[in-house]
Amino acid sequence: MIIALLCITGALILLDKYAFGEFGISQPLIAGTILGALFGNLDAGIFIGAMLQLIFLAGLPIGREIPPDGQSGGIIGVGSYLLLRISNAEGHALLVAILFALAGALIGGQLEIVTRRFNEKMYRRFLKTGEHLVRCHLLGTLTAFIRGLCVMLPFFALAYYITIPPALPTMSRSLLMTISISVGCANGLYLFFKKSKIIYIVVGVLCGLVSVVL
Amino acid sequence: MRLGFCRLVKVFFSSLFLQTSWSFFSMQSMGFLVTLMSGVRKDQHADIREAHKGFFNTHPYMASYIVGATLRAHDEGKTPVNDIQRFIAIAQTSFASAGDLLFWRTVRPALLLLATILAVKIGIWGSLVFLVCYNVMHLYHRIRGIQDGYARGPNVIYVIKSARFTVVRRVFETIGALMCGLLCALVSLQTHALLIIPIAALILILMIKRLSSVIITIAIMLIMIIMLLV
Repeated sequence: MIIALLCITGALILLDKYAFGEFGISQPLIAGTILGALFGNLDAGIFIGAMLQLIFLAGLPIGREIPPDGQSGGIIGVGSYLLLRISNAEGHALLVAILFALAGALIGGQLEIVTRRFNEKMYRRFLKTGEHLVRCHLLGTLTAFIRGLCVMLPFFALAYYITIPPALPTMSRSLLMTISISVGCANGLYLFFKKSKIIYIVVGVLCGLVSVVL
Repeated sequence: MRLGFCRLVKVFFSSLFLQTSWSFFSMQSMGFLVTLMSGVRKDQHADIREAHKGFFNTHPYMASYIVGATLRAHDEGKTPVNDIQRFIAIAQTSFASAGDLLFWRTVRPALLLLATILAVKIGIWGSLVFLVCYNVMHLYHRIRGIQDGYARGPNVIYVIKSARFTVVRRVFETIGALMCGLLCALVSLQTHALLIIPIAALILILMIKRLSSVIITIAIMLIMIIMLLV
């Protein structure tokens, strides 16, 4: 039941990516907050969402470029963590959830290509008949929803049923933060580094260090 | 004919579905047609469908400017269809690059960085800050775009040089740079902190070399696994 609920909620949130509005609720941080609040672990939802957000910050859907689907990755990461925690220790759940999120983002990107090809068929059908424009267009919402279900269901089912052997390494929150902040810094520098902005980056670093020391 | 409130709401609501049927062949063509048709009389539908069924692609929030200007041209009925098509062809690329630069490369990542730092430090407020700030800006462009497009017609293209694009972009570039530095406020001084420098440098090099995002994602997975094993 919880798997179905997570899949449906996740697929509905994922509609925000292309199918409706693009209000930003499918971003990993926001999706993590929503899933965490709905499924009873707000802190974990925000934390994992924030870490995945830093990792997927610079995935820009510009032109025909289809980057890994960070939005699907975020939902899969948080949802899998919530399911894995039912029967696993935190360190194991965190490790597997993050790996699922990264794999889910890669698979999600590929499924997006399939969805777009289906939309192309709908466009050709519209061109052929000249009718049913709205129907052909809005069918995209259904295919986007189904894509969401297809990409999430295997990960959530796996997360619900597996028990991770205690011998496997665990991931601590501080290690995940280190990796995510590193990737976040790289993403941030890639997007915002300019000669004229160096001063602001330095001011930011100084303020950050002061807040850490205090 | 004028752009009344009901018409504005109809066009705005349809524009929220602009990318629903995005495809490699025609991109947002069906979404653009549906949005346009929501704002014209029924007897104009066949003409609009015939005139604009080709390729269309722009930034989803910026499409409103083009939709507004196109609606005005069809309402007036003076501009030849060829000229409207030419305007759309020019406007879509200009607004696409302006919108991508403003929203995808600047406003969204800057606000997400700010929201992430706030979320880790103070919880749910970080997410709320992002949702409110981002949607105020995004909805402003969507709604004002239809109005401005309708009021200015083809001249709406010059809006790209206005403060709502240039100044806002500069401000958010500064916020983004500041937040990028502030990320180190999230670092715990107890463990692993110094590893941030080499990992960030490695990922940055991969990005500057313009490697595909898929390869970068796989590299992050490998880094994670190596760090766990070591």
